[in-house]
Amino acid sequence: MATKDIGPKNPVAKTNDMVVDYVDHRTGMKTGLNWFMNRNIPAETSWFQTLGFTAMALFGLQAITGIILAMYYKPDAATAFESIRVITDDLTWGWLVRGMHKWGASAMIVVVFLHMGRVFFFGAYKYPRELTWVTGSLLLVMTMFMGLTGYLLIWDQKAYWATVVAVNLTASAPVLGPYLADVLRAGPEFGPNTLSRFYAIHMLLIPGGMITFIAIHLFLVSKLGIAEPPWSKRRTMVEREKEEAKRQAARDRLPTGRTRVPVRAPEHPPLRTPAPTSSSTATTPEGGGS
Amino acid sequence: MNKAQQKEYLEDYAEAKRQGKPFFPYAIYKDHLVALFAIGIVIAMAIVYRVEVGEPVNPATTDFVPRPEWYFFFLFELLKIFKGENVLTPVIMGTFLVPNILMVLLVVWPFIDRGPERRIEKRPVALAIAVVVIALMAWLTEEGVKSPSGTVDPAAIELEGLDEAGEAGLVLYAANQCSACHMIKGEGAPGPGPDLTNESSKDRGLEWQIDHLKEPASRTPGSSMPAFPNFTDQEYEDLGTFLEGLGDTYK
Ligand code: HEC
Ligand code: HEM
Repeated sequence: MATKDIGPKNPVAKTNDMVVDYVDHRTGMKTGLNWFMNRNIPAETSWFQTLGFTAMALFGLQAITGIILAMYYKPDAATAFESIRVITDDLTWGWLVRGMHKWGASAMIVVVFLHMGRVFFFGAYKYPRELTWVTGSLLLVMTMFMGLTGYLLIWDQKAYWATVVAVNLTASAPVLGPYLADVLRAGPEFGPNTLSRFYAIHMLLIPGGMITFIAIHLFLVSKLGIAEPPWSKRRTMVEREKEEAKRQAARDRLPTGRTRVPVRAPEHPPLRTPAPTSSSTATTPEGGGS
Repeated sequence: MNKAQQKEYLEDYAEAKRQGKPFFPYAIYKDHLVALFAIGIVIAMAIVYRVEVGEPVNPATTDFVPRPEWYFFFLFELLKIFKGENVLTPVIMGTFLVPNILMVLLVVWPFIDRGPERRIEKRPVALAIAVVVIALMAWLTEEGVKSPSGTVDPAAIELEGLDEAGEAGLVLYAANQCSACHMIKGEGAPGPGPDLTNESSKDRGLEWQIDHLKEPASRTPGSSMPAFPNFTDQEYEDLGTFLEGLGDTYK
């Protein structure tokens, strides 16, 4: 940010501008950032609408602690358990990183479910945000699969047998079940290759999918705009005016007061919608895009 | 929502934005406050409830408790609901049909509920579904928390027609934690071993059962069931008779 008392000739400010201009000229970054950061959102938003971002922050935390763990974890049936023991007992703050990764997983599940609940109760999945919900529900499934595949990597009794149970349950499903179980186990039996397979799924496959889908999810949220809480002050006013107009229309149409005529609300709530300034202003979800 | 309602929504939303305020910094600061709070809780939990090192994997022991992470409890408990003789195979209901139907419903929900109303108090069906689903998941998770081990009280398995050998077999079955891997009439763990409620229908024979107990892989190549080589002859006979009678003599 340029401050006045330094003056326009300040070499740092000048270099700064030059760099920004250089990058913007070649990437359009300013426009993109402007579009993302400076877009308008409804005046009244709820604290519950911070839960999506919180889920994303926890995903980031999982990524960071996960990368640190991966620097010491040895994905092999013979060494996995020992490397977990070293991380927990010997490494400086290893227990903290492992603990954060473990609790972070639970926290993420909780937050994602809460986020889904808020979207449900706000009716925020309705037109035009249906596909945001679809990408979100896929993210939920992927988050659960992260928990399943990560659990085995500890390679202790509890995790091992719980995963054996989970995979056997998969195998009991009709038609595709046995094949899917074979894919998970890397063969007909639980063995050393199962560990490598879960490692690859947990570290590469699902995170890749999640990053992709979070990007789409976020793009949709910024393009369509965050939904307004249905009981915001502004919405309440609009609803009240609609009710009023309905009642007025009913009165107008019942001169004798005897026959009931079905009532239709007017197409536009009068008063609240000023004339559009350009043809696209009022009809695109971006609301004018300016 | 029909075309007119969609248009009305977009116009109304555009108006909300015009009267709104910028995402940066108004939404961003709230987001960061809550996210930092959540991360703080994670760190606090990691410090207070330290991670532990468990027991190394040993496919041949029996004194373990196959427990998934708590957020899978509801799926596990679902299995126990579909116990007994259903029209459909219980396991298929619990592991396949119900979870998959729920998952598909979750994904396509916005295409089912398309009405224009967004206030939850004016969406009674959606509200009822939400309350039922939340209550059910909470209850199933709670049930999962309460059933910590695979060990069952022999009295919990209600079998009719138990004679002396059957009774002795059931006691052995319970005492050796077989139910950590097997289920009889809905009691015990849903896996990794098969449900034994109808074991007699496989026509294994007593000898097969005893050999299988002594060395499972000798009868079922690649078996991951631990061996039980230290019973007395009488005990093998009782347990074998018990297993062979399940679903037939004892049900
Ligand atoms: C660690 C888990 C585990 C424990 C504990 C366990 N089993 Fe098993 N059991 C299995 C698995 C896995 C199979 C499937 C592979 C096989 O048939 O050997 C199995 C198979 C069986 C079968 C064969 C079913 C058939 O006809 O194919 C019987 C009978 C059986 N178990 C009885 C027992 C009894 C009795 C005990 C307790 C003394 C016991 N199991 C303890 C895991 C276990
Ligand atoms: C890893 C998991 C997820 C992440 C990181 C995530 C992230 C976000 C973010 C940052 C927002 C912006 C608004 C807000 O915070 O509420 C959002 C909105 C939204 N999310 Fe998610 N989400 C996830 C899972 C889900 C799930 C499971 C669903 C539903 C099944 C879902 C459906 C939606 C919808 C419909 C919106 C738009 C709401 C609106 O415009 O008001 N998301 N998500």
